[in-house]
Amino acid sequence: MKRYDLIIVGAGPAGLSAAAEASKRGMSVAVFDENAKPGGQLFKQIHKFFGSKKHKAKMRGYRIGEQLLSEVKGIADVELNSPVIGIYPGREVVVRQGDGIVHYCADSIIVATGASENAVPFEGWTLPGVMGAGAAQTMMNLHGVKPGENILMLGSGNVGLVVAFQLLQAGCNVKALVDAAPRIGGYGVHAAKIARCGVPFYLSHTVAKAEGTSCVTGAVIKRVDEHFRPIAGTEKHFDVDTICLAVGLSPMSQLLMMAGCDMEDNPKRGGQVPVCGEYGETSAPGIFAAGDVSGIEEASSAMIEGRMAGICAAAYLGFCTESEKWTALCPLKDDLNDLRQGMFAPKSHGKSLETTDEGILLSGTLLKKGHITSEEAERFPGVVHEAGVHPVIECTQNIPCNPCQDVCPKHCIRVGSNITALPEVDKSANCIGCGMCVASCPGQAIFLLNENCAPGFATVTLPYEFLPLPQKGRKGKALDRAGKPVCSAEVVGVKASPAFDHTAILTIKVPSEMAMDARFFKEEGA
Amino acid sequence: MIRANDRSADIGPFIAADDDDVIICRCEEVTKGEIRKAVHSGMYTLAEVRRYLRCGMGLCQGQTCGRLVKGIIAHELGAKPSQLEPATGRAPMRPTEMRILGSEKR
Amino acid sequence: MKNTADVIIIGSGIIGCASAYYLAKKGVSVIVLEADDSIGNGGSSRNGGGVRQSGRDPRELPLAMWGISHIWPTLSDELGTDVEYTQKGNLRLGKTEKDLKVLQNLTDHAVACGLDVRMINGKEVREINPYLSDEVTGASWCPTDGHANPLTTTLGYFKKARELGAHFITGEPVLKIKKEKGSARLAVTPDGVFEGDRILAAAGYETRLLTSKLGADVPMRGKKIECLVTEAEPPMFQQMLGTAEADFYGHQTKHGSFIFGGSTGLELFGQPDGGGAPMSTSIGAACTCRGIMKYFPALSNAKIIRTWAGWTDPSADGIPVIGQADGVHGLYIACGFTGHGFGIGPAAAYSIAEMMTGGKAPVDMSPFRCTRFKAKI
Repeated sequence: MKRYDLIIVGAGPAGLSAAAEASKRGMSVAVFDENAKPGGQLFKQIHKFFGSKKHKAKMRGYRIGEQLLSEVKGIADVELNSPVIGIYPGREVVVRQGDGIVHYCADSIIVATGASENAVPFEGWTLPGVMGAGAAQTMMNLHGVKPGENILMLGSGNVGLVVAFQLLQAGCNVKALVDAAPRIGGYGVHAAKIARCGVPFYLSHTVAKAEGTSCVTGAVIKRVDEHFRPIAGTEKHFDVDTICLAVGLSPMSQLLMMAGCDMEDNPKRGGQVPVCGEYGETSAPGIFAAGDVSGIEEASSAMIEGRMAGICAAAYLGFCTESEKWTALCPLKDDLNDLRQGMFAPKSHGKSLETTDEGILLSGTLLKKGHITSEEAERFPGVVHEAGVHPVIECTQNIPCNPCQDVCPKHCIRVGSNITALPEVDKSANCIGCGMCVASCPGQAIFLLNENCAPGFATVTLPYEFLPLPQKGRKGKALDRAGKPVCSAEVVGVKASPAFDHTAILTIKVPSEMAMDARFFKEEGA
Repeated sequence: MIRANDRSADIGPFIAADDDDVIICRCEEVTKGEIRKAVHSGMYTLAEVRRYLRCGMGLCQGQTCGRLVKGIIAHELGAKPSQLEPATGRAPMRPTEMRILGSEKR
Repeated sequence: MKNTADVIIIGSGIIGCASAYYLAKKGVSVIVLEADDSIGNGGSSRNGGGVRQSGRDPRELPLAMWGISHIWPTLSDELGTDVEYTQKGNLRLGKTEKDLKVLQNLTDHAVACGLDVRMINGKEVREINPYLSDEVTGASWCPTDGHANPLTTTLGYFKKARELGAHFITGEPVLKIKKEKGSARLAVTPDGVFEGDRILAAAGYETRLLTSKLGADVPMRGKKIECLVTEAEPPMFQQMLGTAEADFYGHQTKHGSFIFGGSTGLELFGQPDGGGAPMSTSIGAACTCRGIMKYFPALSNAKIIRTWAGWTDPSADGIPVIGQADGVHGLYIACGFTGHGFGIGPAAAYSIAEMMTGGKAPVDMSPFRCTRFKAKI
């Protein structure tokens, strides 16, 4: 039987990060993954990640995946097309490989199998065309296939919001975003990206029915009361061919259960999870869990958890000393702690906040309609008015993210040491209009305004991630934050640069009075 | 875990609902009404409902419906889903052809 | 919670559930105590579903034959639950001369008991089941054998007994049986004491731990065996199957999946489990698959979706103990079914219900007395 110091199940963000740390400490490591490609869900994450530099913020997910892969290349065996079919006593791992099964034995195991998408049953939910939002993301971003033409998205958490935006990018028509909750669940900045494309939000609504006999031909939604009971007579019909479900994830923890780990159903962690220590130690000696399998979070936290578990597995088998272990764990703990701060942190779940940490009243429109209003914008520290070009930052919730502070060469933007603080614009600094902040903001919430570029006119510089890219000189309509055309606009500048990492910077000229309303551009005839 | 252990305890009558026809386990085509009725016939655990109706016993092994079935049983019993024991995790974690499972390498 | 009844049953497997049903039907009040959280979580939910007469020890054959003629054919209607009873015969397959001798011997014994079973050659075997490989050179064929769904049978008895007023309590492990005024009357659990005029211990191997303390020991042991199930396949055949070599047994269910059991030969020497649910081994299913494919090459692409293990309770002489514990007033025992208890479970339960209520079992139950075990010299 082939033996390893460490076997890792799952080559996603947690598994690969664990492999990197363990291999570096001299362990022989094998990583088994059932997929044909490594990276778990990272390679379909085409958006820029939140966080700080140490969390690889403003990098797109697939690039993070590429980095991780190169980190383990040559030092760990990453075996693909290799589903682990069971973990047996004595840490025996049985893997399906090629035309047979192979028995392996390990002195330690890290299970990093991730999660699967939840379903929600309604009439017709088993019809082709009803699919997980993650599945739709896989289809378009990994396989280059449009999941459908006209889409209804159920779920306003980050997955629903991010995938809805990517569906728009892929050229799909997102007809509506529906959530039974009375408030948008994900980051406001993600919601704002799709709201300004004109996607309507239906909160306190649920899907009552998928229509069709052999595939989805329509959807009916219904309003729900405060107890989530559907209200008769509130039906609304949509002509869609696809219904995407973004209603949460469940840890895929069956292997841990099979391995004899103590389990618990912990709703805060997303369901059935192993009872774990702070660094992923399960109740079974030598078996660790990392990433979504031990509690649903995000890829950024999964990567840190993976590193922690890798270090702990190394210490468990004497590949590093206890003091070396703690030296390595401490900064990771801080990094993880940073990510678990802010309004969307696990500890804030279920709380209905009224103000930001700074004491500023939150935007009610943002939580209901997916965008702030220009009046509300004025109360946030990123929104200033001054002569000449300057940033306007419509970042109004406390989320752990600060690339804007790092990228501005002129130090116009300040978040401070508290990563969840709202960014402030320093009016004393001199903005040169380079656009780095606009392109780097993972929430696409930064705009450059020149409120009086010419008499009666203003320019608005906005992030643009759609193809084809409008050309300089083209005319069209400026859309407001709700996606409504508000005035004529002309493209006066288009910038694309490797430093922008595929986010183009579009500058449009609009009447001065529209400077605080125009947030998107739609070309004539497009 | 839940002490819904007295199988003669009164959990109220089965009352038909509008969504009883909705399929919950799509692998085995088990409806919500069937699951609810099973609970009222005395099947108070996920293991019993699975064995009685086959829900969660198909190709996906309950990865999709396990959570839903648990929620329905808990609701009928007036309990929280987290108070119910989950179904056992069993090998093979992915469906595996007999010729492949039978071909062992060490 | 009610804690007195005419009869306290320990164990909610097919014996416990079916006995509760037959007793409740007679108007006897019953409390069933189950240690596990789920009804029938032991061998009753983990076996291969055979409802056979052929291949059995002649001592238990009359009980098996009675059950097949009197209970199984109408059981689904009686319980209001589809137990998927399918009476399309049993083929016990042989490939070698040695196998055929084993089968001939079993057949001779069964014929002597009046069972319709006969030896057939390879060609006849493939006329009954065209999917069998040419390696099969002969079989014993018993047309009145068959199979059923152990899950719905056990739970069907539970459901019907419950409807008739039998009181089931799960998560209630009996720690000991206590006598009062010379009669076994009390079942003591961590949370309470349950009292009955008679007590039936039907808890598989665990029965021994309870009854031996009252001087009614049953020489048996626990043996873990393993099963597997495939995804649903198109209908292929309806017979129950076994082999002379005992390398696998099983059938295709009404649902389309194939349920097979097998053995690696290492079962008696397995590592102890942690005490929780019995775990399948890393080699069991693989071995069973190889066994099956030798007989059924057509199944080599069928996908295994689940494997599991269960405890059997082999007795020292291979047949169960059913009946009154001689010398211990009030105590009845049904255990030691040795891995083939499902098919005779209903008949055994029917009989014990009769014995516990002063009635007469339909067949001679003396071979199952618990005092039959004697030293060899």
